[in-house]
Amino acid sequence: MAGWREAAAVAAGGVVGTGIRLTLDTVIPHTDTTFPVSTLLINIVGSFLLGLLVSTLWKRPGFPSWAKAGLGAGTIGSFTTFSAFAVSLVAEVHNGLIVLAIVYFVLTMVLGFAAAAVGIRIGGRARNDRDTVDE
Amino acid sequence: MSPLVVVAVLAFGAIGALARFGTTLLLARFTRFPFAVLIVNVVGAAFGGCLLGLSARASISAEWHLILLTGLAGGLTTFSTWSVETVQLVERGRWRTALSSVVLNLVLGIAAAAIGYLVTR
Repeated sequence: MAGWREAAAVAAGGVVGTGIRLTLDTVIPHTDTTFPVSTLLINIVGSFLLGLLVSTLWKRPGFPSWAKAGLGAGTIGSFTTFSAFAVSLVAEVHNGLIVLAIVYFVLTMVLGFAAAAVGIRIGGRARNDRDTVDE
Repeated sequence: MSPLVVVAVLAFGAIGALARFGTTLLLARFTRFPFAVLIVNVVGAAFGGCLLGLSARASISAEWHLILLTGLAGGLTTFSTWSVETVQLVERGRWRTALSSVVLNLVLGIAAAAIGYLVTR
């Protein structure tokens, strides 16, 4: 059952995840009429990392639920974003940048979901290797 | 960007994350469909669309735009949970649920952002 410890971990993770996203948005700035490179990278990297976590640390017996909440829902959940993706698409289409919107949409969906699958696969393989060594 | 704005963005990011976490806990008891992600993403996208519209007619300062869009909406919505949950659903053979989750997030999320923008601009 989630208690204050989980909530505190989610809030702390929310600060960290939002902070890294804000930093990347500042370092690689984009406007409503330029390609949102930072958001694309964030959603790809975040999907890969969460895939890796759910197939490794999450499967470890006794891995604390507050750490799971802080890393998953808190840090990586806040790092990645759906609203920026949707808002950029609307702004691009409204500005007549249809090709840009299509390219951004396709790259985010294909690379983001592929990154999640690769993260899960790599994590699962690493876990199997470790289990074999342990025996 | 002033230090105060940065602090506000981070604080609102944490509030968004807590709201998403709470939604997940609340809904996980009632359904196996990933409704929590769908709800936070559609609500966050609608909110983001409204902020885009308000910015377009200069009804909101650049600072508040950053605090509410990058902070609150960014912290509330998530892409990684959506992508990872979808892959896991596919791995478990729940193709129909996986496809529904992808299509519903895209259609309702992008429509919500567009409507939010058109209503507020």
